[in-house]
Amino acid sequence: MSTVELLNKFHEIAANPKAQMDKYLAQGKKVVLVAPVYTPEEIVHSMNCVPMGAWGQDIQINEAKKYFPAFICSIMQSILELGINGTYDGASAIIIPSLCDSLKCLGENWKYAVKNIPFIPMTYPQNRKPDFGHAYTKAGYERVIADLEKATGNKFDDEKLAESIKVYNEHNAVMREFADLVANHPEVSAQARSDIFKSATFMEKAEHTALVKEFMSSLKEDTPKKASAKVLTSGILVDSPALLRIFDDLKITIVADDVAAESRQYRTDAKGGDTALDSLVNKFCEMDNCSVLYDVEKKRVDMIADAAVEKNADGVIIVLTKFCDPEEFDYPLIKKACDAKGMPCILVEVDRQMENMEQARTMIQTFVEML
Amino acid sequence: MAEEVKKARRPVDPNSAKYKLGQIAAKAYSDAQEAKARGEMVGWCSSNFPVEIPETLGLYVVYPENQAAAIAARGFGEQMCEISEADGYSNDICAYARISLAYAKVKECEGQDMPQPDFLLCCNNICNCMIKWYENLSRELNIPLIMIDVPFNPDYEVSDAETAYVKAQFLAAIKQLEEITGHKWSEEKYKEVMEYSGRSSRAWLKATACAHYEPSPFNGFDLLNHMAVMVTARGKKEAAEAMELLYKEYEENHAKGESTFRAEELHRIMFEGIACWPWLRVTSTGLKSRGINMVTTIYADAFGFIYDDFDGMCKAYAQVPNAINLEKARDKRVKLCKDNGAQGLLVHTNRSCKLWSGFMYEMSRQIGEECDIPVVSFDGDQADPRNFSEAQYDTRVQGLTEIMEERKAAK
Repeated sequence: MSTVELLNKFHEIAANPKAQMDKYLAQGKKVVLVAPVYTPEEIVHSMNCVPMGAWGQDIQINEAKKYFPAFICSIMQSILELGINGTYDGASAIIIPSLCDSLKCLGENWKYAVKNIPFIPMTYPQNRKPDFGHAYTKAGYERVIADLEKATGNKFDDEKLAESIKVYNEHNAVMREFADLVANHPEVSAQARSDIFKSATFMEKAEHTALVKEFMSSLKEDTPKKASAKVLTSGILVDSPALLRIFDDLKITIVADDVAAESRQYRTDAKGGDTALDSLVNKFCEMDNCSVLYDVEKKRVDMIADAAVEKNADGVIIVLTKFCDPEEFDYPLIKKACDAKGMPCILVEVDRQMENMEQARTMIQTFVEML
Repeated sequence: MAEEVKKARRPVDPNSAKYKLGQIAAKAYSDAQEAKARGEMVGWCSSNFPVEIPETLGLYVVYPENQAAAIAARGFGEQMCEISEADGYSNDICAYARISLAYAKVKECEGQDMPQPDFLLCCNNICNCMIKWYENLSRELNIPLIMIDVPFNPDYEVSDAETAYVKAQFLAAIKQLEEITGHKWSEEKYKEVMEYSGRSSRAWLKATACAHYEPSPFNGFDLLNHMAVMVTARGKKEAAEAMELLYKEYEENHAKGESTFRAEELHRIMFEGIACWPWLRVTSTGLKSRGINMVTTIYADAFGFIYDDFDGMCKAYAQVPNAINLEKARDKRVKLCKDNGAQGLLVHTNRSCKLWSGFMYEMSRQIGEECDIPVVSFDGDQADPRNFSEAQYDTRVQGLTEIMEERKAAK
């Protein structure tokens, strides 16, 4: 396929997760929903199920309001709304980690709001570096395995997990390569970049890896256009078409990201360990640089400022999902770290019900003009 | 905040539990201040951190959540929140955290001063927001942080895996604190602290259970003040004695037909959530003027830390109100409502607390159904006065009153 054809395909998948899910179900596959921010997808994959990202959607919230007060983030609200309105019907289960307070509430509400899709909790340790953190992570995975066996009837096998880990590690590597490559190709729009990341959550990973590889081969043939403004984006989600349109209208190139739904997913591989499950435990315990993972040193703050400098970004755009307190707490320190390096940094607040992005447009436009 | 006509306060009997509890709470600050002046290390500690650890080690700690509540109750919440907001903190963030981060920066507040910390003790069994707040304090103040992670438990019982994880962290925290402060752990001292903590907890449970008498021998708003001692000092001898005195007084009140609820008790309710500290008088008066006594809150259960050994202590800290699943949280409240004859449930939808409010709609529906009582909620905030509407509160409480009256009339 040509670059354009491939981009169309990524866009079609990213924009129609329901069609993807229905396709897998029609193939007789079992689908397991995986909520933000991290879940042991490799386990789901190894048990012959399709992990399907459930990060919500830009929709109006109606039924979820009966469960959540207005000050819970729109990601949680819309995941629950999609569960209640039947969009996720057919899924065998949903795995929800308790990495933030709102995710804890999502799990509890899910049990009563969406009774036809079993809730599988994944409880991660925050003190994940010492041995006891590893042991507790493993206990969490074993609980997920037991619940998945019950929900799907499929059995867990460590050897199959080892195979799945290979698939996921390869996908991680490909996505890291993609993020670096696309930084040098400003002709790839912000929307297209987002589509490639987003489609990964709705596809089987081997399939996505192949498609991204094909896209990269095609892209390498192209002569890169010149970038106007280069930025590093950070946040939980940067997938709103209205927001991405602003980036594209203003010819902003994303040269790196610290977005939870994008590069944060692919920084760490599963490796080492006596068993494949231990290897997966290592993966989580080695993870860092994320607002929902405890870090006394808050390395993420400096990492963002340093990465922006290293990638020759002109500025940092923090895309803050409203009511996401883990991100809200980090912002003042990120801003300070960027200021110390002379790296311009701007905050744009978004939510999944935002129809009018004019204020964001004005802010980003002014920011870009200043760079 | 609206101007209120202040009545002359009744003099407090220095032999009363109220006086003694007030003194213990105040002494926690002055002791820490004096220790700091002597050059000793002082810690800032989150409210549900295992207080037995610093107590056994003989460390002075103060509690930013208590400080923030005091600052808010005395009318300084908004100005402190604004300091943090000017630094880039969203006004959606927990107001206790905003006040505390502001205090760490400006280092003084007329509402409640306390010494600056040399180390930080954080436990996230009440929310993950604590982690973020303390991470930032640690970075901004450049001081060590000890963080005990007690995960939210999606199951009804605490698993062996969780107990082992929590215990390992308690032990690691003790070791780390010994290294930082030079103080040493003593099993003998720990047993003493455990005993006082048990005595305080048992007395607290018995005192709060006195609400089952009709009328209740106390105004439930008293608990909001007294619980400060349960949070910060329950491992101290004075606290155990003062709590036992409180229980004795409540029994005596009942025997004499007296109560600290200074109105006729027409209705009895459970109040759900953290107090609206900036609007304490308004929220209290709105109930009292209608003859509504808040006879119970989850705090009545929350500080009943009854355990026999170290493992039991680890489990107890894994079962504090915000660390437990909906079913367990619901059952605890249903029991409190039934035991204390609550006729209604008033829920504070607290803008500051996502975890406490995030599944409260469903849980309060279930409590209402199971106890067959009306449920009404109002919007507020534990410390930011801007997130509360007196008119809405009044309308909601009036609605609750009318339903309770109708039900009473129908009986």
